[in-house]
Amino acid sequence: MNLDYKKAPNLREYSVADGEARSAGDARILAKDIPCQQACPARTNVPLYIEHLANGDATASYRVNLECNVFPGVLGRVCTRPCEDRCRHQWTNTQGPVTICHLKRAAADSLEANIAPLPSYFEDTGKRVAVVGGGPAGLAAARELKRLGHSVTILEREPQLGGMLVDGIPKFRLPRRVVEKEIALIIDSGIDVELGKDVDAAMMQELADTYDAVCIAAGTMKVQELELDGLPPDTALSGLEFMKQYNRGEITSMSGDVVVIGGGFTAVDCSRSCARAARRLLGEGDNISIIYRRSEQFMAATQDELEEIERENISIRTLATPVSVRMEDGLLAGVTFRRNILDKTSDEEKPRMLPVPDSEFEVPCKHLIVAIGQTQEWEILPEGLALTDGFGTTAEHVFVTGDFATGADNVIKAVANGKAVAEEIDAHLTGRERMQSFVRVETIEKDGFTGRVRDHDLQSSAEMPVSPVPERAEGDREVEQGFDPDSAEANAMRCYFCHYKFEIDQDKCIHCDWCIDAAPRECIQRVSRVFLDDDGVVDTVIEATLAHEATYIWIDSDACIRCGKCLRVCPTGAISMQKAERIHCPRT
Amino acid sequence: MQRQLTMERLSEDEEVKASGLNLDFDEIAKKGVMSKEEGMVAKWYGVYGSRQPGNLMARIVIPGGVITASQARQIADTAENHAQGRISITTRQSLQYHWLKVIRIPDMMRELATEGVSTFHGCGDVTRNVTACPMAENCVHRRLDVRPFARESARLLTDARDLDNLPRKFKVTWSGCRGNCAQPYMNCAGVIAVACGLDGSRQTGFKVVIGGGMGWKGFVAQELFSFVPQDRVIPVIRAMALLFRDHGDRYNRAKARLKFVVARYGIERCREIVLENMQAEGESVEGLRTEPMPDVGEPVPARPLVDETFQTCDASSVVRIRVPKGEVTHQQLRRVAELSEMFGDQRIYTTNRQNMELHGIDPAKTKQVKQEVLATELFTDGVEGIIDIVPCVGTTYCPKAVSTTRDLYDRLVPLVAQEKFASIAGAVRINITGCPNSCSPYRIVDIGFRGMRIREEQGSVEGYEMLIGGDQEAHGLRLGDFKLADCPAITELVLHKFLELREGDETLTACIRRTGMAPWEEVLSQ
Repeated sequence: MNLDYKKAPNLREYSVADGEARSAGDARILAKDIPCQQACPARTNVPLYIEHLANGDATASYRVNLECNVFPGVLGRVCTRPCEDRCRHQWTNTQGPVTICHLKRAAADSLEANIAPLPSYFEDTGKRVAVVGGGPAGLAAARELKRLGHSVTILEREPQLGGMLVDGIPKFRLPRRVVEKEIALIIDSGIDVELGKDVDAAMMQELADTYDAVCIAAGTMKVQELELDGLPPDTALSGLEFMKQYNRGEITSMSGDVVVIGGGFTAVDCSRSCARAARRLLGEGDNISIIYRRSEQFMAATQDELEEIERENISIRTLATPVSVRMEDGLLAGVTFRRNILDKTSDEEKPRMLPVPDSEFEVPCKHLIVAIGQTQEWEILPEGLALTDGFGTTAEHVFVTGDFATGADNVIKAVANGKAVAEEIDAHLTGRERMQSFVRVETIEKDGFTGRVRDHDLQSSAEMPVSPVPERAEGDREVEQGFDPDSAEANAMRCYFCHYKFEIDQDKCIHCDWCIDAAPRECIQRVSRVFLDDDGVVDTVIEATLAHEATYIWIDSDACIRCGKCLRVCPTGAISMQKAERIHCPRT
Repeated sequence: MQRQLTMERLSEDEEVKASGLNLDFDEIAKKGVMSKEEGMVAKWYGVYGSRQPGNLMARIVIPGGVITASQARQIADTAENHAQGRISITTRQSLQYHWLKVIRIPDMMRELATEGVSTFHGCGDVTRNVTACPMAENCVHRRLDVRPFARESARLLTDARDLDNLPRKFKVTWSGCRGNCAQPYMNCAGVIAVACGLDGSRQTGFKVVIGGGMGWKGFVAQELFSFVPQDRVIPVIRAMALLFRDHGDRYNRAKARLKFVVARYGIERCREIVLENMQAEGESVEGLRTEPMPDVGEPVPARPLVDETFQTCDASSVVRIRVPKGEVTHQQLRRVAELSEMFGDQRIYTTNRQNMELHGIDPAKTKQVKQEVLATELFTDGVEGIIDIVPCVGTTYCPKAVSTTRDLYDRLVPLVAQEKFASIAGAVRINITGCPNSCSPYRIVDIGFRGMRIREEQGSVEGYEMLIGGDQEAHGLRLGDFKLADCPAITELVLHKFLELREGDETLTACIRRTGMAPWEEVLSQ
């Protein structure tokens, strides 16, 4: 009698059940299991902050965001939401992703306690770092550099900090108090600020000579010019300049038709600001048009925003390229566009355009706003200094970040890059990498309770309430009003809480299949084979039909709704609930 | 329609239960199917799913484990009419049909009702069939006849509408003496008749134990009261049910049973709540005692029912019928009913080893009755012994089962029936349960098997966790997990070891307690 039974190996995904999981596979499992976090450039622990909110703890929710993405209240309004595109709800049902971005704002809105600046990681190093530019990237870099123990000075050209957050984004999308509060949280940690400091090449050299490190986060403040036949200089306004003037209250009224060329955030913001400046939110009088050369799907605006644009009576015309302008009596009278189609053979992220012959048409207008892009002001770099890969430059103690490093991009990427460059600078200043990342896995003993049931998956999202259109022009009233707590909780509960992982210890499993019977959907399977890749991550499974074919009973994390029913019915305690969290902290 | 969902710790079952526990089986029969929610509520009417698609199981409640011959005949007729003629006897002394179609359920219920038999509260989160010693009335060891108490408690607990929605099932059993044939230590509420010296006289009453149970996690019941006067005992049981109703976990059904409440609160707190519950209902708690109260009655053998020449306390004798695998045909049941009418007390007694008994037989007729029983292809030998193996229905019928318990049963019976094991035939009990629900209580017997599948290099095979040396007050110890094909050989090795190590007339469990596990684990290397 041979009782030494040969068995297929046990199947545990994370390398540890409790503790620090540090293998390459561990990081990949986390990335796969929590796609929203992986999609976030700042690696925001989305399910954790949503879970805190679902539990009614807005402060904890806010803190998670504050740690990860520096500007929760700001990003809860203006983030481009790459997370929502990857939300698992997008894979499985038709009711749209979890409103991740708006929930971030909900936590910021419901914040009751005063939040203190985040604690430092290390003691003072005595090193001094100059950060050129007080926009989101510069501020994020400054906060982290300070936490790493360095003395930081921000040099900002404008009379206030915030960069594009205050100059580029209109107040009706991002109230200034929100920006100011979150900037104060950074500055109050003990950062020196010099406003009105227009750093040119000479001053940059001086900074490089006097500081231990310089971080250039000067953004992309040079607008891209549009060359159109017949367009005299200074006739068209750049989108950036328009927004700057509008945000500073320098444009309060407009009249006549407005054409905004472009499809990015600035173009949309310009058109909506025009609508307010012209008090024409209800549609009387002149026309405001956004004209974009690609189709709507390539516009930066979110679906919500496109809806609001429509409600604000702004017309959007796509697939048209400007070719010339017509002047009358020295004043702009119209812009001629040519229709184009998109090159279907193009495999670029933004497809090329193919002109349609003889398709010119004119759009009459009195104002032309060109918002087609911005670039770096390279002239602020001292002679001989050039960018190298990543955040580096030819001077080893001078770094670049944010839009200045990458070209114009969104706020969340600026924040992520600001945080990342801080650690590169720290490594340069201290000679070693003092921060580390790993996955912390914790076995949670609470009967698989997450609060979720299958019905949570199938709920429709509560819609973001918006201010009535006639009132929007008054005092730049914020359009999106924020969720009430009940709506926030309801939306939060749609989240699958992907940071939890339910897993079967195959050595305890007796194949009773009770978990399969209890499963709310086909999230648990009999499988005959599981193929792992070189990192030990599950690559492919082969489903088994019959009991004797099943080597394993396996929980598919991609289908699991984290309801915990399987754990509760398991009669042998084989199913565990783990909480996995990406930890970024000082090395011990 | 959007449901208002909360983070409340309440299982989905509780939501269904809260929405009502009433079903119209005629309407369901017209529909031809039951919804998931109806299927859940159907349990309150004793109707449960079956492994075979399209079939249902119904459990007939047999309070105290006794039915009249005419009831038995009706049960047999209904089995023939609606359930392919088969009836299973359960380890809680109930009877079950396994081959019911949903359209037949109302007729089944109506037919049974003509003889006052019901499936109501056969399953569900209610007081389940109240069990009792099969020999309650006529056992020589009995301190009291517990049958009337069992039937009265069953009536009160089943009729109490405020006990319809318990967190999970509630099991009550009554034992006539400390022989514990009714298995009090594995029930939520175990009542044991005792004779105690009180105030200078011998008084009979009850010891009450609480929080025992099998299921996926076994618990041994703890003593709640060492002595309860006879007229207080049913209020005590009700107060225990209220304790369970109000304090059981309504989120995690796997941890809902009273045994988990007792484990969580401790016996002292549970006792306080029980007393509070009694007082709140105006019941007297006078005479309830908690200090040790030794039973002063006559000594009781370890396994009273093993004795083939069982003596009753009256002049009659008993014919005990061993029912292989606990399943009878409608013809067999009808014939047994007839025998009870011709020779016995016109009643059939069911036992927790899935057998039947005929009582009140004229001793002169015993041999004849036994022959009649044998003629029905049922047996009268080996009851409660090594050959009287108790398998649950396993994958034959049960949707929960992992293993085909009847397969192992068929492999073990010829093995244990060998002549070489005749000397230990009364000293070994074997139970086989097909899944961790432990319907065949595998932890409280000498050799217990619990079904499982064992992973192989690819695929899996049927197997069993094997425990040895268990009884109600100390559960069996794990010998190992074995493939089905190895279980008979290992059982044989264990029995050989028992033959080798046995002292006197000790049971296998007593032997294992004396020797420790080491010699038994050694057999695995042979």
